[in-house]
Amino acid sequence: MRHIWAVILGSFGLSGIAICSAQIPQAPSRWVQPAAELAGQIADILGPGQAQVTVRNLSTIQAGEIPAIRKLLELDLKAHGIIASGGESANAVRVTLSENVRERLWVAEVVEGSETHVAMVHVDASTATVAVADARMVLQKEKITGLSIRIGGIALDDPVLAATEINGHFVVMFADQISIFSPIPGGWTESNTFLMEKRLSRDPRGVLLANAGGGSFTAYAPGAECVGSYSLPLSGPMAESGWSVRCHTSDDPWPIYQSADASGLPPLKAFYNPARDYFTGVVAPSIGVDLPAFYSAGLIPRAAGGAALLVTEIDGKVSIAENDALRNVAGTRDWGSDFAMVRSGCGAGTQVIASSSGEAVNDSLRAFEIPALEAVPESGPLAMDGTVTALWTAQDGKSAFAVVRDTAGEYEVDRVSALCD
Amino acid sequence: MFRRFVIRALLAAMTLSATARTRPHYGGTLRVETAGDAWERPDGIARRLVYDGLTQLDASGALRPALALTWEPDNNSHRWQFRLRPGVHFHDGSTLTSGMVVASLSASCNTNCPWTAVKAVGPLVVFTSDSPMPSLPTMLAGDEFLITLRTTADGKTPVGAIGTGPFQVTGFNNGVLAMSANESCWQGRPFVDAIEIRVHRAVREQWLDLSVGRADVVEVPAEELRQAQQQRLTVLISPPVTMLALQVSEAGALANVKLRRAIAAAIDRSALYNVIFQKQGAVTASLLAQRLTGYSFLFPTDRDLNKAHELRAGLTPGPLTLATEGDGALQLAAQRIGLNLREAGFNVQLASAGTQRADLVLREIPLPGDDPVAALAQVMRGTGNLTPMTATTPAELLRVEQTILDEKKVIPLLDLPRANAIGARVRDLRLRADGTPDLADASLEAAQ
Repeated sequence: MRHIWAVILGSFGLSGIAICSAQIPQAPSRWVQPAAELAGQIADILGPGQAQVTVRNLSTIQAGEIPAIRKLLELDLKAHGIIASGGESANAVRVTLSENVRERLWVAEVVEGSETHVAMVHVDASTATVAVADARMVLQKEKITGLSIRIGGIALDDPVLAATEINGHFVVMFADQISIFSPIPGGWTESNTFLMEKRLSRDPRGVLLANAGGGSFTAYAPGAECVGSYSLPLSGPMAESGWSVRCHTSDDPWPIYQSADASGLPPLKAFYNPARDYFTGVVAPSIGVDLPAFYSAGLIPRAAGGAALLVTEIDGKVSIAENDALRNVAGTRDWGSDFAMVRSGCGAGTQVIASSSGEAVNDSLRAFEIPALEAVPESGPLAMDGTVTALWTAQDGKSAFAVVRDTAGEYEVDRVSALCD
Repeated sequence: MFRRFVIRALLAAMTLSATARTRPHYGGTLRVETAGDAWERPDGIARRLVYDGLTQLDASGALRPALALTWEPDNNSHRWQFRLRPGVHFHDGSTLTSGMVVASLSASCNTNCPWTAVKAVGPLVVFTSDSPMPSLPTMLAGDEFLITLRTTADGKTPVGAIGTGPFQVTGFNNGVLAMSANESCWQGRPFVDAIEIRVHRAVREQWLDLSVGRADVVEVPAEELRQAQQQRLTVLISPPVTMLALQVSEAGALANVKLRRAIAAAIDRSALYNVIFQKQGAVTASLLAQRLTGYSFLFPTDRDLNKAHELRAGLTPGPLTLATEGDGALQLAAQRIGLNLREAGFNVQLASAGTQRADLVLREIPLPGDDPVAALAQVMRGTGNLTPMTATTPAELLRVEQTILDEKKVIPLLDLPRANAIGARVRDLRLRADGTPDLADASLEAAQ
């Protein structure tokens, strides 16, 4: 490859560089191996000689990459003694860059007279990158690698309801179990599971809170409450991660998240309807106003001091309860059911991150401030890789976790942070 | 990541309302209309609402547990054991047992089962076969093997359709099948309280009902997709999940493979695609769709009338009967194929729908899932070819497919999508891997 560039530079001089670079772009390294393998198979069929080589693309590979792939193939074929020629050759190699739902497939139809043979190779998948919009504040996400893989390497198709990082472990709550994930190079691996009685719901929910001191957690599930405690693991058949979890039946209310800078209201708890997917509207202690049934709630700081309760109602409205009154919040028409608060230190200090979908297939996340009764966007939308099924504030209060279900039905957990721009 | 990317591209059109802005609401009655019978096989719309299989395919076609939690092969896939999910109940309250599963499976295929024996061993259902069954778990996700209650706990034959699915039948009046949510469904209670399925409703009447708010989910046949879009209906479209194929008898004159090949060469697929099916789906000459294999373009689809005449070599078999397993577009397609074959020198007579022992049968064959080996096994089974088949690489699969197609007992014509139009109050409706709507996960706006 380097040799070819040298020839081009020598022939056309400096002014030709840009033109030639565009005509024959450098092939990404991921195509090198499959091109070599396919060329080898073609050579096994055809042997040395001339052949007319055509390449067509039926895959999701960008059109701009095809010339480079073709060049790679021609070079590899040449190394096997096959020279790409014009239409005068009796032999033809028709290469199709194809794919199915599982993998890419490169297929060569090798035509020798009236005989056609087929060669094909698998091609490794590539990854896509996600761009984040520019704004006064920028949201960024980081996938928590490994939380979607269960013991035995099975991809997760059960929803993650909640997760929190405690004592160097990730505690993850599913509909039917609590799992402890331990760190491994580059990610996390499931090291313990503690079964819970599975509640029958197509939209299961839960809350997981690290307790003060970090040595324990409480998990709230529909109709159940679990307490996990940590002790240094001993050698022998003791649980590998050092965690133990005990669950019991409970209809106790679930805690409502309170931002550290939201003072003026006592810690609140809300009663959850275990047969559905929302809170009943009854909170304890009472805040002096009747709340409708809601999906999510959180205590946010107010500019004038004190705190207010922000709720997403089951009819899609977003309201704020303060001063014994419940008022609608404007600018929230496209909000999802869940939100999280993050103390980014940008702007007013605390922002609300909410999900929305708009017309897109996938959801996005966006940061808002609510100085009065209107949600003001503080960031551009951060595109997620599917539908946001859960969203909550991380234990540090400075970031949030989002659970995303992609269109294949698989789940991933992303940590979402806000950066001042 | 790549698989997810491709699946996302494929499913984008299937999930117009799949991205929920808010969590799904509970309550309400979903009104569905169908031109066919709600219980007809395959894929009658009521079947998967009432019954579950041991396994199931998710929306992307991947195999998932259902009534069986785990399964494992033994003896080179000659033996499989499936462990049942505990705590599952039929709609009448009886607990699912392995014996009930065995009774249901045995009744579903009688003497034509893909296994030699199936028996209950504690919580296990054990299958054995004289030939390997590598695709058995995927096969058991099919409509044919849904689990029904055959005998009640007190040994009686149950009245009505009783399964373990998300809805239970409550009645049938004036052409409407009524179902209510199964509160103790093992997958969780469905979001809507009830479903009403109006059956035998003409497609145009369904669309009218949708437009005036009398229906929430209606059918859109592939050949009507363009018109539905022109009418600005909200349509969920699956990837190609059924194959339109001509099944050719080996009896009589058609025992001569050259005549069968002449028939294959004479058919003008592009006319079927362009005119009758309004450019929906894709022309194909392979058994497995391009999305499953990535190599279906290797099978030429062009009509070759000269080759058809050459292969026929002057032979003019007696009148061939051509039947269809369907109406509407399939009838039109059959007429077009009859015309093609007459141009090639064949004497073809169209038979009425459902005619037994026709020489040629035009039919739709389901191609669900993302496993090409399992899909090929299903196609073979669906066309009466029970020859054991194993393939582990695309090249091997290609060779198997070439061998089957070379016999021209099945002539693939088109890969077709399935589609439904939905009303404005329907949320979160997705299509299953087989292209049918997954009504159990749908919810309704403002249903509280």
